[in-house]
Amino acid sequence: MAIIITVKLVGVFRIDRFKEQSYPLPCGSRAVDVIEALNLSRRLLGIILINGAHASENDQLQSGDCLTLMPLIEGG
Amino acid sequence: MKMNTTDPAAHPEQVLYSRCTVDLSNGQQTIEDVPCRNLEDVLGGFGRSFQDLAQRRIESAYCDENPLIVNTGLLTGSTAMTGMRTYFSSYSPIKGSKKGLPAAMWSAGSGKFGAKFKWTGLDELVIENRSPQPVYVVITATDTGPQIELRSAEHLLGLSTHDKIMALSKEYDNAHFAVIGQAGENWENVYMGAVALSTENQLKSGEDKCRFAGRGGMGSIMGYKNVVALVAQCNDKIKPVSAEVKKVNLNVIKGGGAARLQPIRRGGGGGTWAAYDVLQAFHAVPVNNFRPQGNDIPEKLFRENVEKDYFIESQACYRCGITCHNNISEKNADGSRGEFLAKFDYEPLNLLGTNIGIHEAGQAARLIQLSDNYGMDAISLGVTISYALAYNERHGDQPILNGAQFGDYEKIRQLIIQAGEGRLPEIGCGSMRLSQQMGETDYAYHVKGLELAAYQPESNPGYAWAIAGGHMSMGTYGLLTREGKTDVDSWVKGITEDKLHIVGFDMIGLCKFFDINNGIGTQMVVDCLRSEFGFEIDAQSIRAAVRRAFLLGLALELRQGYEKNEFALPAEVHKNPNPHIKLSNITSEQFFAQLEQRVWEIFDPELEELLK
Repeated sequence: MAIIITVKLVGVFRIDRFKEQSYPLPCGSRAVDVIEALNLSRRLLGIILINGAHASENDQLQSGDCLTLMPLIEGG
Repeated sequence: MKMNTTDPAAHPEQVLYSRCTVDLSNGQQTIEDVPCRNLEDVLGGFGRSFQDLAQRRIESAYCDENPLIVNTGLLTGSTAMTGMRTYFSSYSPIKGSKKGLPAAMWSAGSGKFGAKFKWTGLDELVIENRSPQPVYVVITATDTGPQIELRSAEHLLGLSTHDKIMALSKEYDNAHFAVIGQAGENWENVYMGAVALSTENQLKSGEDKCRFAGRGGMGSIMGYKNVVALVAQCNDKIKPVSAEVKKVNLNVIKGGGAARLQPIRRGGGGGTWAAYDVLQAFHAVPVNNFRPQGNDIPEKLFRENVEKDYFIESQACYRCGITCHNNISEKNADGSRGEFLAKFDYEPLNLLGTNIGIHEAGQAARLIQLSDNYGMDAISLGVTISYALAYNERHGDQPILNGAQFGDYEKIRQLIIQAGEGRLPEIGCGSMRLSQQMGETDYAYHVKGLELAAYQPESNPGYAWAIAGGHMSMGTYGLLTREGKTDVDSWVKGITEDKLHIVGFDMIGLCKFFDINNGIGTQMVVDCLRSEFGFEIDAQSIRAAVRRAFLLGLALELRQGYEKNEFALPAEVHKNPNPHIKLSNITSEQFFAQLEQRVWEIFDPELEELLK
């Protein structure tokens, strides 16, 4: 069985990828599966949100979820 | 420094630092090797200067008894990456308690001045009293140690920070400079004067690429003392990088938090500017005096939109591999680089851009350039202007100053010019005083008299306990945004244990991007100290020294008349919560009251000893 989620990318993660996209995944997929499939840099990955709430890369995804992946830059 | 021990934690008195005290009233000077009192003295920076400031009871920043202490950290001028910091400490003209007493303050800056200062053989310069005539101080290395001279600065008066530096660079080879602009010269009406520090890039290119010790009005203190510039002249004294330090430096570039700051072409996040994208995802980029509107207006200053029209270069400080900032220039028709405009860091870009309704990059850059050239703290300046604009928005029929509104570039530009020239004390003296004068203090975005950095207070109640301005003296600004912490326990721990350690960087001479999340009590710093000085010191002792230094800062705030209720966020945050910010609400009055109680329960017993 497959699920469909929405993936939103922020900042440099959009370069050569996309801003927002529907994303089919096998049932039982976790955030890390998307991170790896998109080949996002772990060094840059700062924040993972599932439906607007902070989450970890091992959190499981459900159909209809919105997964937001952000780099984090600090200071100024 | 003279190091006669390998164990500075147990025997700090066997480490001596070279201090010159100059009395400007008569030109007398004393150079001495001073034994360290404790590990804070050994580390340096504000850890040492605050102990000296604590020995003086100062009731007005502009008095002869208030010293200006210029010093470096133990690793300034070393082979450790980012070791470029200079510190300026004094009682501040802008940060003060409601009782009217000035707060002890320090400000840090990079550039190459700090390393040159250290290489002259001097570790600390204490400037006492006030000169009857404008002078500059020349520090040179000689065979017998550092030599200090005062020289007339009449020819430098009225010049911008950049022009002062370039004028001095023609007189002094092999030197670097710390100068004030017209703002510092007009200290009576400008409390937010910054100190500009020269960079190699600036001296080579002739472009105004200074770094700044901006916070707290240390440039205004220099101006009050009639010291227009400092010159540090000597040969570079860079040692070969040891294998141990090389490993640490590589870790700083590749393994630590700094990786996120690297240029995009090197796989990084693109410097501090990239905070825009992340914070906008939460609608937490400050807009129009810290009131995000839930729309996409901040995106106009996203890098991807700016680089269509302007030429952007990622840049690093001298001998640093982090490349934290971006320089913006005009773009020629053929796509090549045109006239240099300004350095784009997140804070000035937001506070002199989006937060005052300026969404065109070139205009924001020119306002930053003006602020830099006059020598003002871009944070205090931007936030004070945004307060005035917010006032005018509320009082369309009776606006103040020149009636400027959000986004009114020409009128805002005029405000900056007038403030920088000392003709507009309403702006020059900061948002706390202006808001008190106007009788509307709720939406003045300062804490304890010092304007907020460009992080919404709704995301950081820790601002209240920052001792030298948030966000760089209380590292809680990512606790909600990055870590998603919404419980009081996590915030109490963050404020009272983990995140206060960010101030350690302002002792040891390193930039916070060395290891921003972990502070200086780490194996990386231990390894550097062993390699550079043969010190055997453990991370725990360093952490303990940083905590003591932080607590002394808090104790000094209380001694200077701050009441507990002044450790607070701008009232608008509680009274009129912003519905557009997509973060959990952790700044309700209830949450903050619990936080206050728990934080003081931890700090109070430790402060009691210090306040005796």
